[in-house]
Amino acid sequence: MSELEFDPHRYTGALDDREDHAPGDEPAEDAGHWIANSNLGLGFSVILTAGAFVLANTNLIYGPSIPIALLVLAVAQMGVHLVFFLHITTGPDNTNNVLALAFGILVVFLIVAGSVWIMNHLNANMMPMDQMIEMQR
Amino acid sequence: MFGKLSWSAIPVHEPIALITSIVVILVMLGILALITVKGWWPYLWTEWITSVDHKRIGIMYCILGVVMLIRGFADAIMMRTQQAAAVGGAQGYLNPEHYNQIFSAHGTIMIFFGAMPLVIGFMNFLTPLQLGVRDVAFPTLNSVSFWLTASGALLVNVSLFIGEFARTGWLPYPPLSEATYSPGVGVDYYLWAVQIAGIGTLMTGINFVTTVLKMRCPGMSLLRMPMFCWTTLSSSLLIVAVFPILTATLAMLSLDRVFGWHYFTNDAGGNPMMFMNLIWAWGHPEVYILVLPAFGIFSEIFSTFSGKPLFGYRSMVAATLFICVVSMMVWLHHFFTMGAGPAVNTFFGIASSVIAVGTGVKIYNWIFTMYGGRVRFAVPMLWSMGFIFTFIMGGLTGVLLAVPPADFLVHNSMFLVAHFHNVIVGGVVFALFAGLDFWFPKAFGFRLHEGWGKAAFWFAFFGFWITFAPLYVLGLQGMTRRLQHVNIDEWKPMLDLSVVGIGVLILGVISQVVMLVVSIRDREKLRDVTGDPWDGRSLEWATPSPAPFFNFATMPNVEGEEAYWGIKVRAIESQRLGPEPRYEPIEMPLSSPVGFYTAVFASVTGFALIWHIWWLAGLGLLGAFIGFVVFAWRDVHEFHVPAEEVARVDRARRAARQALMERIADQGALA
Repeated sequence: MSELEFDPHRYTGALDDREDHAPGDEPAEDAGHWIANSNLGLGFSVILTAGAFVLANTNLIYGPSIPIALLVLAVAQMGVHLVFFLHITTGPDNTNNVLALAFGILVVFLIVAGSVWIMNHLNANMMPMDQMIEMQR
Repeated sequence: MFGKLSWSAIPVHEPIALITSIVVILVMLGILALITVKGWWPYLWTEWITSVDHKRIGIMYCILGVVMLIRGFADAIMMRTQQAAAVGGAQGYLNPEHYNQIFSAHGTIMIFFGAMPLVIGFMNFLTPLQLGVRDVAFPTLNSVSFWLTASGALLVNVSLFIGEFARTGWLPYPPLSEATYSPGVGVDYYLWAVQIAGIGTLMTGINFVTTVLKMRCPGMSLLRMPMFCWTTLSSSLLIVAVFPILTATLAMLSLDRVFGWHYFTNDAGGNPMMFMNLIWAWGHPEVYILVLPAFGIFSEIFSTFSGKPLFGYRSMVAATLFICVVSMMVWLHHFFTMGAGPAVNTFFGIASSVIAVGTGVKIYNWIFTMYGGRVRFAVPMLWSMGFIFTFIMGGLTGVLLAVPPADFLVHNSMFLVAHFHNVIVGGVVFALFAGLDFWFPKAFGFRLHEGWGKAAFWFAFFGFWITFAPLYVLGLQGMTRRLQHVNIDEWKPMLDLSVVGIGVLILGVISQVVMLVVSIRDREKLRDVTGDPWDGRSLEWATPSPAPFFNFATMPNVEGEEAYWGIKVRAIESQRLGPEPRYEPIEMPLSSPVGFYTAVFASVTGFALIWHIWWLAGLGLLGAFIGFVVFAWRDVHEFHVPAEEVARVDRARRAARQALMERIADQGALA
């Protein structure tokens, strides 16, 4: 009938390099690399943050393009956070994290874009105010 | 000192509420006294209240859900009878204040505290067993989730005795739910009960996404998982994606009410339509959170009772994931009539119709699973076949409602009420009753009485149609929903017919209760000694009934779809079990009272916030935080089950399997 086969070599319960890792669950790396990596990330994010203030307060670039520049810096900032602090990579050990990120972005996009579209269309089919007042006379 | 709370909060002038309160309090005191007299507290505390075993938590979720279903059903009886008794000159027996609270409580309780706990209960009980693992990813978090849900349910029921409940419907639409028009505590009861339960649900979602993605037994690749695990994953993904929207929206409404802010007010830049938009961005995925696991339950039942693998397993997985994503693109169909232009309405109308394609794939897959199979008409199968008929009718009226011009005619009418009961009762509730009958032996070790089960199904099936078919007719004739008084005499016959239907449904509920009592009485006769009473196909049937707390003595090794079926057929063909494994000690998580403590303090906090007793709210939050800190600082997380104990349990299981195998060999066919 049901014999659950047991093969200790098939299942060790331990994480190895081929398996998928959750954030905070990565295989140990040496402390020096970890610190270097984090400092690099910190450096990038400080530069990007400071850069935003600098661009907004000086005439370094063409005035009307400043909002676009800030947007670019913000997106870059997100990238720095994902790569250096959340350790999102393109490696095979990161499939779940990348998929989760993509799913999150999809959900946020659907809700935000949908809400903006819906709320802008709110009164499209309503009677114009002057006609409404006309009717109420 | 006590905020808005005073003696006037006790509903002494409302005889129905007062008498119900007294009866409920007496019954609860009676139960507590019985437990004390019998000395059951230590057992309840160590084995259930502090348990982090996913099966125990699942069973407690189901008990909570069933109790709340009965409470919600009592509200339903009152609504149907009131409408039939208040036509023309008659006024019925419920005043508008009370009636409005009843329909609001009915919806809130049925969705948040009836259907959700039952669905999550099934996810808890089944997912680890079907994945071949010993527990969920975060066992203690699971216990916290359950107790927070129970805390929310408690608050809703407290509103019956102290204060009032919302009169706004199950979704508190502003501006009616703003402090100007709902100055009482009713909406606050709704808000805090749902917020607390919602936190529990969100944590459940996180827990099960992690469990399915990270905790499968060796060989259990994603495309070998039973269908129910796929629906658990999809449903949990939806929970993680959309419950934060609910929390944020209700928090904004709370800020409006408590601090006079203007998110959803008519003046000062607020917009009530933003509430409708956000609440349905959660609300529509929510119905798929409920119905996807129901589809999973039906998939298991159809293939087991047809004696065939599920037809089109991969298309079923694809349809599930399709529904999971598209369910987040249809929410505007709940407010087609708000005034949007053709572009928006057309987009959401088409998206809503497209969802029916995914569901249609599933329906055909179930029908083709039965086709050519040896179908056994056991109780779970009856519910499932009743579901196909009922759900198709509900789906068809749903596609009708997805067409904006048609929706304008029946928006907010009894037609809509009939439609969504058609899909939620016919889809979710039928699945839950089918599943209760199907997995009851796995949970408790004995089957449910078949005759009473069949009676319950037929009463529920016909009761449902007699109750709701008239409501379709009334809706098409123009009757709007939520009427405390009906002033068109011609509608009386249909309303009376609907009351007849609710009478038949009551017989169904009585049959369920009798079934339970009779089954417990005859449990020795109905005992399942094999662990595989239905000739099952997935791994939960590889365990004895009831399953031991560690589920599997050794990790299963899966080599294909329908893991257990493959192992079973091989064992029968070779007429021998595999060699006895080498038993090793097992590590299991320790029980923890932290979930219960957290929920007690959450209840206190919720109650204090409802009545604006700020110091008590602070005290409650502090208490919950201390519980968390103490838990986080514990040193011992797990205990060892000695190898001898594992061996003892597993040898008993192997003996039962050996006996079953020999019996099948004698009969020459599968049981």
